[in-house]
Amino acid sequence: MKKKNTIRNKIFVLLFYVVLIGLWQIIYYLGANTFGWWKPYAFPNPQGVAMSFVGLMEEGKLVIAILYSFKRCLIGFAISVVLGVILGLFISFFPKAGNAVKPLISGIQSLPSVCWVPFAILWFGLKESSILFVIVMGSICSVIVAIDSSFKSVPPMYVKVARTLGADNVSLYRYVLLPAILPMVVSGLRQAWSFAWRALMSAEVMSATIGLGFSLQSGRDMADINQVGMVMIVIILLGIAVDRFVFSTIENKLLRKRGMLV
Amino acid sequence: MGIILRNVCKTFEGTKRETLSDITLNIEDGEFVCVVGPSGCGKSTMLNLIAGLDRPTSGTISVNDRKVTGPGADRVVMFQEAALYPWLSVIQNVRLGMKFIGIGSDEQERRAMHYLKMVHLWDFRDYSVHEISGGMKQRTSLARSLCMESNILLMDEPFSALDKQTTNKLREELTSIWAETGKTIFFITHSIEEAVYLADKIIVLSDNPGTIKKIIVNDLPRPRHIEDADFISLRKNLLGYVRKEVDKVEKEEYDSK
Repeated sequence: MKKKNTIRNKIFVLLFYVVLIGLWQIIYYLGANTFGWWKPYAFPNPQGVAMSFVGLMEEGKLVIAILYSFKRCLIGFAISVVLGVILGLFISFFPKAGNAVKPLISGIQSLPSVCWVPFAILWFGLKESSILFVIVMGSICSVIVAIDSSFKSVPPMYVKVARTLGADNVSLYRYVLLPAILPMVVSGLRQAWSFAWRALMSAEVMSATIGLGFSLQSGRDMADINQVGMVMIVIILLGIAVDRFVFSTIENKLLRKRGMLV
Repeated sequence: MGIILRNVCKTFEGTKRETLSDITLNIEDGEFVCVVGPSGCGKSTMLNLIAGLDRPTSGTISVNDRKVTGPGADRVVMFQEAALYPWLSVIQNVRLGMKFIGIGSDEQERRAMHYLKMVHLWDFRDYSVHEISGGMKQRTSLARSLCMESNILLMDEPFSALDKQTTNKLREELTSIWAETGKTIFFITHSIEEAVYLADKIIVLSDNPGTIKKIIVNDLPRPRHIEDADFISLRKNLLGYVRKEVDKVEKEEYDSK
């Protein structure tokens, strides 16, 4: 019964997207040919996007762009995680200093990462490091906030019990607090990754010579609207894929083990 | 030796009235002591002070001739909720406390097996915490406490969230464990029946401020049966004291409005 339902759901979802692409094609056709709302070259269409995809794939450019972007995002994300965890722990250990910096951190978190691009170019030049800088600035605050707030969410009872069982500070952190915050930290990292991915695109559009953001930009420069649309779709799909297959999987596994997910 | 409280007072910050006032009490080694009293009379506060989770405003508490300055594995506490760690299995939870105090792996294994069998959970040792019932969780918590092999066990209404049947079973098990191990048990309850069933000595606390109103020595022979005439008469006797306290509390609350 349940299995049947999931198959039915999948078919439904598939159908939804087929219809969506069909609608897109119809709107494109009506807008460009029947009503003349826009020039055919100013609006992407499914067929053109597909051709652009095949074209870039054949040249191997798309794969290389994806790999480059992924590499940058991973390095930037890793730096964010390391620095963010250290800063997050610092804030949790020293609440007074933490309370002073917290407004600043949430302020920076709400700042679009494209704002860092001028600084990045001034300080690092048009190099990889400038892109990494933008990624780190875009994603580190989510890591800091996740670490800090996850400590606050630990039930006080966990600490009380550990203390009465004779735990010292080291044991308390190692065996109780760190495992307790793990699911929340993973969901924080998930958010940080999506921020990193967005920041990467801003930075690549501005300063890269290779990568998905650059492909987007070069599509614009060549007035190839289909390439722009195609790269956007690839960016979205990759974002979904990492979120689903990496972060969701880990998060669900942790939660299921704790009985917090059926 | 034992647990000694001398003129212990506790006033919580931000409140005017004393929660506990001038408590002086000796608990001998191996004694099973129950504390009863109306809710809010400071029973749990008393336990937290002995556990070292809270500090008295004045007076001293010493355990085995050492002044209590903080929580420690020589006075393991069992709380009303099982408070197990959900990322660990039953046996991992039981072993964690021993890990804290640096007991070797073989000994951990031996004790975990011994006490999990004692609370009839050996077959469930690899289950996740969310896969077992409330009673089993509380038994896991009991096994975890027993594994520490401390001389003193502090229990804060450990069975009150459980159904009647499970509670009866656990009371029975606790008495035999107590008889077997000779621990000192300091047990807080709101159930008169539980106090009469378990205790050597029953302390009735009065409310507002919390003071010791009466100490009743319970020398009914064990095993005790709740239908026995002696049991029933002691229970009635005790109920009289507690009821006066409850009435007093209710009256005061009413008058103050």
